[in-house]
Amino acid sequence: MTTAANAVHSAQQSGGRAASAASARQVTKAYGAGETRVTALDAVDVDIERGRFTAIMGPSGSGKSTLMHCLAGLDTVTEGRIWIGDTEITGLKDKQLTQLRRDKIGFIFQAFNLLPTLNALENITLPMDIAGRKADAAWLQQVIDTVGLSERLKHRPTQLSGGQQQRVAVARALAARPEIIFGDEPTGNLDSRSGAEVLTFLRRSVDELGQTIVMVTHDPVAAGYADRVLFLADGALVDDMTAPTADSVLERMRRFDGKRTS
Amino acid sequence: MLLKTSLRSFLAHKGRMILSLIAVVLSVAFVSGTLVFANTATSTFDKLFASTASDLSVSKAVEESDQNGPPRGVKPATVPVDTVSRLAGLPGVRTALGQVFSQSTVLVDPVANKVVGPTQGAPTIVGNWTDSPRSALDLTSGHLPQGPDDLVLDADTAAKAHLGLGSKVRVVATSGNYDFTLSGIATFRTTNPGAALAFLDTATAQKTLLGEVAYTSVDLFGDGSRTDDQLKQEALAALGSGFQGKTAADQKADGAKGVGSFLDFMKYVMLGFAGISLLVGGFLIINTFSMLVAQRTREIGLLRALGGSRKQVNRSVLIEALILGLLGSTLGLAAGLGLAVLLIQLMKLLGMNLDASSLEITWTVPVASYAVGILITVLAAWVPARRASRISPMAALRDHGTPAEASANRIRTVIGLVLTALGVAGLGAAAAAHKAADGGLPLGAGIVLTLIGFVVLGPLLSTGVVRVLGAALPALFGPSGKLAQRNAMRNPRRTGATAAALMIGLAVVTGASVVTNSMVSSVNAQIDDSVGADYVITANSPLTPAMADAARTTPGVRTLIEQKQLQVTFGTPDGKHPKSPLLVVTPNFTEGFRIPAVSGRTEDALGGGISVDQKFATEHGVKVGDRLTVDYGQGRTQSLPVGVVTESGSVLNGLPFTSFGTVAKVLPADEIPGDDQIFGIADPGADKDRTLTALQKSLETYPQVQVQDRAGLKDLIQSQVNQLLYMVYGLLGLAIAVAVLGVVNTLALSVVERTREIGLLRAIGLSRRQLRRMIRLESVVIAVFGALLGCGLGLAWGVTARKVLADQGLDVLTVPTATIVFILVASAVIGLLAALVPAFRAGRMNVLAAIATD
Ligand SMILES: Nc1ncnc2c1ncn2[C@@H]1O[C@H](COP(=O)(O)OP(=O)(O)OP(=O)(O)O)[C@@H](O)[C@H]1O
Ligand SMILES: [Mg+2]
Repeated sequence: MTTAANAVHSAQQSGGRAASAASARQVTKAYGAGETRVTALDAVDVDIERGRFTAIMGPSGSGKSTLMHCLAGLDTVTEGRIWIGDTEITGLKDKQLTQLRRDKIGFIFQAFNLLPTLNALENITLPMDIAGRKADAAWLQQVIDTVGLSERLKHRPTQLSGGQQQRVAVARALAARPEIIFGDEPTGNLDSRSGAEVLTFLRRSVDELGQTIVMVTHDPVAAGYADRVLFLADGALVDDMTAPTADSVLERMRRFDGKRTS
Repeated sequence: MLLKTSLRSFLAHKGRMILSLIAVVLSVAFVSGTLVFANTATSTFDKLFASTASDLSVSKAVEESDQNGPPRGVKPATVPVDTVSRLAGLPGVRTALGQVFSQSTVLVDPVANKVVGPTQGAPTIVGNWTDSPRSALDLTSGHLPQGPDDLVLDADTAAKAHLGLGSKVRVVATSGNYDFTLSGIATFRTTNPGAALAFLDTATAQKTLLGEVAYTSVDLFGDGSRTDDQLKQEALAALGSGFQGKTAADQKADGAKGVGSFLDFMKYVMLGFAGISLLVGGFLIINTFSMLVAQRTREIGLLRALGGSRKQVNRSVLIEALILGLLGSTLGLAAGLGLAVLLIQLMKLLGMNLDASSLEITWTVPVASYAVGILITVLAAWVPARRASRISPMAALRDHGTPAEASANRIRTVIGLVLTALGVAGLGAAAAAHKAADGGLPLGAGIVLTLIGFVVLGPLLSTGVVRVLGAALPALFGPSGKLAQRNAMRNPRRTGATAAALMIGLAVVTGASVVTNSMVSSVNAQIDDSVGADYVITANSPLTPAMADAARTTPGVRTLIEQKQLQVTFGTPDGKHPKSPLLVVTPNFTEGFRIPAVSGRTEDALGGGISVDQKFATEHGVKVGDRLTVDYGQGRTQSLPVGVVTESGSVLNGLPFTSFGTVAKVLPADEIPGDDQIFGIADPGADKDRTLTALQKSLETYPQVQVQDRAGLKDLIQSQVNQLLYMVYGLLGLAIAVAVLGVVNTLALSVVERTREIGLLRAIGLSRRQLRRMIRLESVVIAVFGALLGCGLGLAWGVTARKVLADQGLDVLTVPTATIVFILVASAVIGLLAALVPAFRAGRMNVLAAIATD
């Protein structure tokens, strides 16, 4: 019953949403109330295309993390609706949201991505363990090979470098074949070489494995790896750039700064 | 400034301190409660003795060993009536009062057929009413005893027995039963600690209690012109030999000694348990501070980088501990007063009446409370404080992820192994010892050393045992199980300390239950093995000849074996003078008991000789045929040939025996005590159950008497042992409760410490249920680990202790499997319960906030 109603409703509101891995419609997120009210997101409409690498950029405090958290079902919205694939997640209970994250979403955080008590391989298969699913051995091998971690599978996170840790996190996000992977500054803590490794790898997983990735970043170089860059400012989507390069992104960012100083 | 940061930090972490605080409060409460209780009890008795003692009490001289009064059922020693007039005329004496008192009677309510007064602990005293200037009681209703029918009872006892003026009261004395009517009720001026006091008029008291016109003592009250000591000297000089005098101070000291030893025992037992719970609380505090220090690694590193010295860091942690100790001691002190009141109420149930409204709080109470509370907290915080001061300034700059996994270091392992090995050697030596006395010391040392050894080895053991214990978890509980297993192993020191706390209490419980179970089964085996008698007749007061007659004439009873006990001093061929109880039995003793002999014949011991136990024989070089002198006191001695050497550990409990006839040759009838126990043997053709009922019926008029068949006897022993055991369990309950708090504490702090991890797990799809299960399982693993260690240690202790006590009659070892299984299962349940709140809080954590914490 709900599904039918939803289908009709969403067809009216979101033309072309069906092709998206995730979409937001008129999403508003506000913290606090009255005087101290902060509107982190202000009626944002966004569609994340399937099988593509999307970067989200914007000045600090512009609402990037908030948007990502809302899209990933980690946070609730004040107004508006969000879908992951065909499933509307606004209004879902914690239990269903947890299940959704487990089955359909992969995460790469800026730091502290791995459980210190598990070794690299166990960390990679953790989401499947939690779901009680068996990892597809061939796929797992492919992911591990691509990330180049075959030698380090029995190592604990503390025995891995920062870059290696992030690669394990990426492998974990990929291994379960989620519909979409969210990364909040996944290379923010890495030096440029390790960062480049991880980004190359993310790029390859989109190209070769058909993965959908959304990545929040501050780094124009990182954004240069993406197919598309969304620019946020003061909680609103202000620009949308396809086939970006580091230079073009940097250029666009300068205009923000210019605007801000003016 | 340092104090300020410490205070601020303490307040900031008050949530994390709360369980440590509770542990300190509980332990200190136990200490202060015990002290207040003991003080109050002592002062109650002191007040009573002080207000009632006469200036001088003169009685017949008795030997030092007989100062505690005559054996049960023996007529008290008396002084002639003219002693009163001889003393009254002395200078400085205002009043001399002849007293008649006896403690070997029982009061019975003949209508309800119930014992009146205490059945255990406090005495029942029957005497004459005198107009003493320092009477303990005032007549509050009715009239004084004026004739052979009148009896005055103290108000507390009358109220407890629901007796009023005009009620019938029976005095059961050795010489027979005497019925009285309650003519008056007297009320204690100070608190009555629980004794029952009954008063007759002097003539009736003499007739009933002594069977002669005499006094048991004469109380003197001076006119103030002489000190009590002078009075004593003059009185004894005037009377000549054969008398002894006790001043008010002597009487007080005697009284205090009597109750004091019981109170002291209780006090030390309880302080012992307080010590255990303090120790357990110490682990909790160590854990709390370790975790606080671990969490503040960065902060401390920063402090050091900014120029803070090691000493300052160390001191700031210790000051925090000091604040905790101060606060805990203060609250514990207050809680202790509540505990003291509770104990006083508990003692009331046991028949000891103390005044809860006048708690005696001496200066020692706060001093001991603060000393104990602060000392234990600061000591426990010492190790983490030192660790904190070792944190390098670099730590501030490092990404702090999780605290470094502390691995059990080598020195620790070596120390632990050495201590455990020494402890095991001690236990081994104890087990190899031939006599209980020789085994005691190595046993004690073994227990202490293995305990410390296990505590030190805890972290090492936790790595191994938890790995094995947790091995099944992943298979059984999936990812939650796997994560729980890893979490329980990630900080061996913490797991070790948490489990050690639980281990201590459970080890004592297990050890105690091994010993008590062995005790019960040993006694049972002995009853089956050596006791041929069908019935046992016992009472808390001496059994009178009238009771024996009633039993003897019961249909179905073939014969009775009577047994008395005398305290004697032997003179052995090796020139020693050992003191020992002597069993005095009827010659048909062997009909009801199988007495295994090493050499000689039991019949010879019963026919004019004496028996000795094998151990006694070896120790003093006694053989069958040797003569022993037996000194009964009062100058009555006898030389008896040894008729038999009995096997050790028999039903005799190592005691020598002789027959009635032999003792009667030197002791006049009125110095032979009443029967201690009477055993009945049924006619061969009689229905044993019916005879039991018949026996109970014939002794119905003596409600203080219990008749049991062999099964009943076993039950009785079991229930007595259980009473002891439950008391131990009850007291250890506190230590275990504190240990459970420790598990809660560890989990709660771990949850806080792992906030980000939990956030991550939730983000990648771990459900609340799975998360809660993960925490519960970790808790169960820690608790079961502690229980395993405790049971193992307790078993080793118990088995060794049993071996040591083998020659004291504990010749059968019984391992209480059911108890051990129960402990293990219960520890799992404890684990589940301990995880309740931490798991709930972890489940409620906001995923985003958790990820964002640093
Ligand atoms: N829990 C919260 N309570 C109140 N305000 C919040 C909360 N979380 C975020 N905000 C506010 O919402 C706005 C958007 O925050 P958000 O974290 O999304 O920014 P961001 O673009 O990710 O910034 P950065 O690049 O610094 O990570 C900010 O103004 C922030 O102050
Ligand atoms: Mg952000």
